[in-house]
Amino acid sequence: MTGTAADATPPVQLQNVTKRYGRRTVLDDVSFDVPPGITGLVGPNGAGKSTLVRAILGLVRLARGSVRVHGLDPARVPRRVRAMTGVVPEDDATVPGLSGVEMVQYAARLCGMPATEGLRRSHEVLDWCDAGQERYRAIETLSVGMKQKVAFAAAIVHDPAIVILDEPTNGLDPLERRAMLGRLVSLARDHGKTILVSTHVLRDVQSICDRLVLLVRGRVQLAGQLADLTGSDTTSMRLRGTGQLADLVGRLATRGIAARLAHDGDGLIVEAGEAAAIREVWAEALGAGVTVWSLEPERRPLEEVFLAALAAADAGEAQHATA
Amino acid sequence: MPLHDVGYRGWQGTTRQGLAAGVIATTGIRLAWKSRWLRRVMIFAWSPAIIFAGGFFAFEQAVDDASKGGGFSEAGRLDGFGMIGSLVAESLGGNLDDPDQARRLVWSRLLLAFMRAPQAVLLAVVVGLVAPKLIAGDLRAKAWLVYFARPVSRGDYILGKVGVLAAIVCLVTLLPALALWVLGVLVSPSAWVAVATWDLPLRIIVAAAAVTIPTVLLALAYSSLTAESRIAAFAWFATWIACWITHGALTGADMAARGRPEVASLQAAFGDDGFDDGPPAFRRGSRSQRRLGWLAQAAGIDRTTDRWAWLSLFHAQGVVQAWIFGIEKRFTAAIPSLITLVTVTVGSLVVLFLRVDAPTRT
Repeated sequence: MTGTAADATPPVQLQNVTKRYGRRTVLDDVSFDVPPGITGLVGPNGAGKSTLVRAILGLVRLARGSVRVHGLDPARVPRRVRAMTGVVPEDDATVPGLSGVEMVQYAARLCGMPATEGLRRSHEVLDWCDAGQERYRAIETLSVGMKQKVAFAAAIVHDPAIVILDEPTNGLDPLERRAMLGRLVSLARDHGKTILVSTHVLRDVQSICDRLVLLVRGRVQLAGQLADLTGSDTTSMRLRGTGQLADLVGRLATRGIAARLAHDGDGLIVEAGEAAAIREVWAEALGAGVTVWSLEPERRPLEEVFLAALAAADAGEAQHATA
Repeated sequence: MPLHDVGYRGWQGTTRQGLAAGVIATTGIRLAWKSRWLRRVMIFAWSPAIIFAGGFFAFEQAVDDASKGGGFSEAGRLDGFGMIGSLVAESLGGNLDDPDQARRLVWSRLLLAFMRAPQAVLLAVVVGLVAPKLIAGDLRAKAWLVYFARPVSRGDYILGKVGVLAAIVCLVTLLPALALWVLGVLVSPSAWVAVATWDLPLRIIVAAAAVTIPTVLLALAYSSLTAESRIAAFAWFATWIACWITHGALTGADMAARGRPEVASLQAAFGDDGFDDGPPAFRRGSRSQRRLGWLAQAAGIDRTTDRWAWLSLFHAQGVVQAWIFGIEKRFTAAIPSLITLVTVTVGSLVVLFLRVDAPTRT
């Protein structure tokens, strides 16, 4: 509909967004951009993620700051902003009594699509979501996973430029979860959509997101490219391959290069960041008869980054309180 | 993979904004109509129309009989439906010697009685069945995000929900009343009767609006105050019953203070200024008047019982409807009731606008 990856300005921009409920500050000077691609919005419960999503939709009045969605102010033109946005809420958010396909068609018609075209498009997106014949069942009788599919289909039925998802993999089995993440990646990479995923599942963020925004107590604690956040402060490499990896550990030790088998069983972790050391790792791997599939900088687990950021936030809070 | 899965494709069609209220209303009506109870009540709600249709038919039969020989005043000469029709005309104050004048008056009063006595009560039941779930259900299912995350404003949402209820209310009040008018024209001796009573359909529409708007908005306001539709339903029925009892108690106290029984008050009311002239038979307290006294009361003939009407939505609507049908000719008598209806309407609208998207702000 609107907005493409070619636009120079990020589709969603937040500048000094502050929101208070009475005396409680829920969002405190939040500033970040959401470029095309997939951005993960993570944070502990009560961090202000839902309020942030509502601010983007123009549902809450801000105490300070501004939100721009494709250059539009949601507070002034909420309908236009919502017309280019699709939202998958965390809660069921369905209309009891409708069937799955009727629910999606209802969403399409609320967005202004004609009834017949809305029905055709509903079936199209439900097919893409692999909804099967379940789509004809009353929505209150559907499984959690199926409800999630219907909610996702309802969010994208009008082909929005921006898709916001709150816990999109909640209640999904591993296969469905993988399929859902695949759809998000496809929307972002093949169709140029801007996707903001609010989730607690860090594994999902690590597997599909390009960027990460960590919100703690209403403040942005961490924001940036996921690759930068998880790989910038490490000198470790992960070597994946087949052969006698334990032997390779011993051979590297004789060269003064620390190495250990990865805890997750996925190759070796080698403490070598410099180019010379990497060349030696290659040479020793050849000598040990190990077939190397990949040798790449080891990323810090996102969970580690998340916990470190939380600890930093706590420390900052304590310091502030002491002062 | 489904047979027709063509993958995700962009959509380049044209959307039309501003139709959300209509979409909400039509979908809501379809969902409400799925209720078996509602369908049953609707069938029941149309049954009084059959009785009133009999009234129209009997009256027109009396007119026809009278035109063939003898007048209304010679009721003793009429048989069957003609006899009943003459009694109806007499009870409702029709001028027995002037068929056109009598028709206007009797039809107006029959229509008012129909909209007041059975339909207003049935309306309360129908609204009590449908309205509580309309917004409370959305709050409970968190369906407000279905609307407010899309290009739907508070006004669209409220208008859509009002549309659902208004359509159902109109099915109970407006449509059968209009059907009665059409039937009256069809059973009358001449098609010119439609021209002579052209204003009645308009009055029916305005009278139905006077019932629909405050009733619907109040019921929706209750629904928006809770996520439990049972509580909203209880509040709705409790309000009607409490208002009714209060009105009845105060009216009864008035009557007791004046020491006049109800029938006497009816007789007294007939001679008062501002009302259509009552039939001589009514002034005499005839047997027909006693038999059909309830009809006269529902038709707004007895004004002494309306002193406290403004306290009760049902009775306030009755007074305003009587004024709309031209039966209550004094505008000042309708003012307190009008104020009540306007207050309920405005208050309900304020509550609705504050409440419907409240969850998005917390």
